[in-house]
Amino acid sequence: MTGTSGVSSECIEEGIMENALVMIAVLDKKGTIFAWNHAAESITGYSKAEVIGNTSIWKSLYPDTEYRHSVTGKIAETLATKNYFENLETTIKTQSGDLRTILWNTKEIPWEGEPKVVAVGMDITRQKEMDAFSRSIIDNANVLMAVMARSRVLLWNKGAELITGYSSDEVVGNSSVWKRLYPDPEYRRTITRQITGIIAEQRYFENLETTIVTRGGERRIISWNTKQIEASGGYHEIAIGRDITAQRHAEEALLAYISEMAMRLKHPVEIIRDNIQEIADLINGGKLTKDEMVTMLEGQVRNASQIAANVQEFQKAIAEKNKEIPEAYRKFLEG
Amino acid sequence: MDSIVNPKDLEKKQIFLILVSAANMRQRNIDLIKEISAIEYHMVVITTNFPYSVLTKLYSDNGIDPKKVSFIDTVTRNSMGNTENIPRIVRYVNNPANLTDMGIAVTEALKENAGEKVCILYDSVSTMLIYHSSLNISKFIHFVTNKLRLMDISGVFLAAEKGLDPMFVSQLTTFVDQVIDSG
Repeated sequence: MTGTSGVSSECIEEGIMENALVMIAVLDKKGTIFAWNHAAESITGYSKAEVIGNTSIWKSLYPDTEYRHSVTGKIAETLATKNYFENLETTIKTQSGDLRTILWNTKEIPWEGEPKVVAVGMDITRQKEMDAFSRSIIDNANVLMAVMARSRVLLWNKGAELITGYSSDEVVGNSSVWKRLYPDPEYRRTITRQITGIIAEQRYFENLETTIVTRGGERRIISWNTKQIEASGGYHEIAIGRDITAQRHAEEALLAYISEMAMRLKHPVEIIRDNIQEIADLINGGKLTKDEMVTMLEGQVRNASQIAANVQEFQKAIAEKNKEIPEAYRKFLEG
Repeated sequence: MDSIVNPKDLEKKQIFLILVSAANMRQRNIDLIKEISAIEYHMVVITTNFPYSVLTKLYSDNGIDPKKVSFIDTVTRNSMGNTENIPRIVRYVNNPANLTDMGIAVTEALKENAGEKVCILYDSVSTMLIYHSSLNISKFIHFVTNKLRLMDISGVFLAAEKGLDPMFVSQLTTFVDQVIDSG
């Protein structure tokens, strides 16, 4: 057929096929290749001349016999019920020896009067690598990561399993984990109200702290950050929860230590001041013998020496714990 | 002047934590000794600030009968060296940091006055903070208050009212029967 522009439909089809960014091969049911586009040549490294008219390409692409049989087995199984297959993922070996992951879709078409199969293969190697990389980051992140559609969990990483004690298998596909993490109904209501309020206002929240109860009954303080992402037909929420239990405990311990030291420094200094004033008054009143004066003054010297030692101990402890000191305390300590 | 502690509560062998402003600490010590010894109690004073010889003079100047007071002195021996204990008058403890010796001295002083109406005065919790953590002081006061209750003896702990950590004060209040803010 010739179009109004004078270009035949075959030419257009050939142009599309040749310039497509995906592998396109036309083959018969035995696997004999009838067409092999430019992208197929680039991806596999095998030229049209090498592949058209024979079936040898499949052995080249799948040199491992066992793997080749598993792929042909899957294809045969699919084609037994329908005359096409969708999203079949295989790993081919290129002429240069690289492995590439191809996502195959096929369709039966008439080709020069005969029924043939057009196979479209998309090279998803890079995407797979990125997915594996992302998955690895998600799994190895030392934080709880969850992806949710409303409250139904779609993803629950290893960090989440480790922190909560609940496995991905138990959690993914339902929303029951939230009841387990927040077993107290009143607290759960408060948290839900808080989250709903924030989400309604700004669609995400930052550093929201909640206390969860793990599978083992342990209480952990989690600092949550969320983000909404567009997904098919709506939104998903990504929640990242950082376990700050140890940090909070360290802060509480540090605060207790600072309070204790403040009490053991300021208070005794005032005692020494008052004692010395009293000693001065007693001396003025002629109430003390020389020995008593010496005893009392030496007592205050000992008190002062002990306070100096306490200050030194305090400074040493602060230096040792320096990295753990939260910013607010650091500012306080720096005066 | 109203009494700082109610004599009826003393009769019930109660234990008191008395909070005093730092400037009034010495005067409250004298007031308490005067008040309690006047109702025929023998006072055992644990002193961590002033030596017993000076306190004796101050008490005498304020009309307190020295026979009604004995001391556990944690100040003198540190300066004067190996001073000898004087039975029923003074027991020396090397320094205020030595809680074990202080505990032994309290036990011995109470035995020495067994059969009498005795009240112990601890002066002061605040000075102990120079030498011990609040946790260790709490443990020591718990030990002393237990001993007092077992021996059916009343006691008074003096502390400066300001500067103590509220957690520490609330801990101390669990060991005593009454907290009195005497200003």
